[in-house]
Amino acid sequence: MKALLATVISLALTTVVIGNAYYQKKQFYPSIVYLTNSNPSMAVMYLQAFILVLLVGKLLRKIFFGQLRPAEFEHLIERSWYAITETCLAFTVFRDDFNPKFIALFTLLLFLKAFHWLAEDRVDYMERSPVIGWLFHVRILTLLMLLAHADFYFIHHAYQFTASKGPSVQLVFGFEYSILIIMIVNILIKYVLHTIDSRWEAPWESKAAVLLYTELAINFLKVLLYIGFVAVMVRIYTLPLFAFRPMYETMRSFKKAYNDVVLSRRAIRNMNTLYPDATPAELAAADNECIICREEMHTGAKKLPCNHIFHAACLRLWFQRQQTCPTCRLNVLRAPAPEPAAAPAPPAAQPPPPAPGPVPPPFPNMPNLPNMHNMPPPPPMMAWGMPPPPPPRPASLANLTTAELQRMEGNERRNIEARLQLLREIQAMLDASVLLMQQYSTVVANLPQNNATVSTQTDIKIEVVNPPTSASASQAKSEPDVVPTTSSYKPPAVPSTSKADLTDDASMQPDTTTDSTNSSFAIRKRGKISEMPMRPQSAYMMWLNSAREQIKLDNPGMKINDFAKKAGEIWKSMKDKTKWEEKAAKAKEQYAKDLESHNARESGE
Amino acid sequence: MAGSALRRLMAEYKQLTLNPPEGIIAGPINEENFFEWEALITGPEGTCFEGGIFPAKLVFPPDYPLSPPKMQFICEMFHPNIYSDGRVCISILHAPGDDPMGYESSAERWSPVQSVEKILLSVVSMLAEPNDESGANVDAAKMWREDRDQFNKIAERLVRKTLDLPPP
Repeated sequence: MKALLATVISLALTTVVIGNAYYQKKQFYPSIVYLTNSNPSMAVMYLQAFILVLLVGKLLRKIFFGQLRPAEFEHLIERSWYAITETCLAFTVFRDDFNPKFIALFTLLLFLKAFHWLAEDRVDYMERSPVIGWLFHVRILTLLMLLAHADFYFIHHAYQFTASKGPSVQLVFGFEYSILIIMIVNILIKYVLHTIDSRWEAPWESKAAVLLYTELAINFLKVLLYIGFVAVMVRIYTLPLFAFRPMYETMRSFKKAYNDVVLSRRAIRNMNTLYPDATPAELAAADNECIICREEMHTGAKKLPCNHIFHAACLRLWFQRQQTCPTCRLNVLRAPAPEPAAAPAPPAAQPPPPAPGPVPPPFPNMPNLPNMHNMPPPPPMMAWGMPPPPPPRPASLANLTTAELQRMEGNERRNIEARLQLLREIQAMLDASVLLMQQYSTVVANLPQNNATVSTQTDIKIEVVNPPTSASASQAKSEPDVVPTTSSYKPPAVPSTSKADLTDDASMQPDTTTDSTNSSFAIRKRGKISEMPMRPQSAYMMWLNSAREQIKLDNPGMKINDFAKKAGEIWKSMKDKTKWEEKAAKAKEQYAKDLESHNARESGE
Repeated sequence: MAGSALRRLMAEYKQLTLNPPEGIIAGPINEENFFEWEALITGPEGTCFEGGIFPAKLVFPPDYPLSPPKMQFICEMFHPNIYSDGRVCISILHAPGDDPMGYESSAERWSPVQSVEKILLSVVSMLAEPNDESGANVDAAKMWREDRDQFNKIAERLVRKTLDLPPP
């Protein structure tokens, strides 16, 4: 309505001015001279020209775009304001050339620019619109052709002009139209890509990547042009302030495109090589909807280090923006990546299996390792291909620095390796004891048939199976520390069964292989066996039992360890042990007899 | 084949229609353009916006859901986190990397996990509990902090306005 009013008013004014001139001068040429010499008349004429340009613009817009969408219109107005401001700045540089032709050329430039912008917006819109008719294609292609021709013409003109008459404001035009022609190329590429995409039935996955590379190349060209233009302008005129804003923006978008390309390439490479494909089981276990496109995942799903699963294609698109997990924002570039050898494993969740080569911590030292106490008991017959479940990941992992993460991971890996090594040791021990147990049980099965021979055999066996018991006397001499623990318990009943108990009772700490504990297990678990005759005490034990109170009296306030040491020393230094050795021999005889009668009784039963 | 953005928007629309969250209605203004939606948000109960029905416009970028949509109320609003022209300023509507207020951690920003439903629910909770630190509308933030009665009065007037009731 307003536009119509403005048009009518300006048309009326023009008619009045021309009518007035013609009325005064009566002839054509004098009236023209009169008009051009009268400033108010010229103002009206300029206004009319401006309105005409707008009208032509509207007409062309109607032809090529139809109705503008509100977003397009807003965008156009916004960019126009910037362009007008910058044109005014440009005028200051070229104030010597300031004349109506100059203004007309700038207006034309603005006019063409506006159509470039609209074409760009329209092509971007292709991606969003579900229906694209043939009219759209005809319009866009014709428009792009026309614009390209206009750009070429003006570049050519600027080149000819500068070559023949030296540098002038045509430099600016040549440069501006070069930028516009690059823009046309960009729009054309986008148009072709969108058209191909809309024709294909399947989603075109690499389209975004192609677009990204196009953007990089286009921005690179633009940056080169801007730098060249600024350099030329600084040499010939002065600093072209009007070119700074678009130059800055171009450089920024170039940098962004460059970063996007580099980081996304890295993230996508990581994804392709390091992250495992989600298995159908994993897909079934979780809700198998890809959170990015909200569609179901059947194939081509990838699992990130944080165990979140997405379509590989969707992830690729997202990684071109950001290199984080969409769900938990774990930075995939900083996330600990597994060695290529462990590729099918989720990184950080599974350390490489410990190499069998290096010397493991020796088994007797095991109780000294603090983490043994925190360790969950190993399941009895654990399959060794299976590593323990990954420890829960701290929630704030994304906030940690790379160094912290590495440190954390390093400790974790070392600890897990140590644990695995220890578990292997335990496994080996258990296997060995199972074997021994089997041997022992075959022996026991033979016992009732030939008592006399077997009893000596068992004695030998027992010595093999459990050296600490039968050799307790000698051991006590060399390692007195062990003594008090042994001495504070009753002599073990049937020590050789203790190993079997170990395999049965999985929850038992593997380091409790001292006789006393084992025998107590044996007593607890095998009530029947405990009726068997007690094994005889050694000479040292007999002496110790009698001497204990005396030693305690002699050394009041002594700790248990010191006591053991002291007792060991005294025993060692004793010259005459015959009394105790005789006693022990007697006890042994008695034991043999008891065992015989016991076996006889049992066979009788 | 329509773009992935379009398919996802259609999926979200379907989801919102079949299973609408309480107090929220949203859908494309026109079925030919799925990238511009209108939403009606009911003021949360127990707050000064209770009872109001606030219309808003959502504009989605062509690369949705990789980039966040823009949201703008198309009725008059007076709220610390809504610009005077109706644009909504909440962190999940900002793409990581640009931070207009300089206070948001990237963990609160847009990611494809978000959806129209989550945005609208966030806006409802924003109506209930303004964040007076971000201050898209400084006047509103100041009034919210210092003169809650006056703020409530303005909110009540706006609520009545959205319902086409005469001011009290």
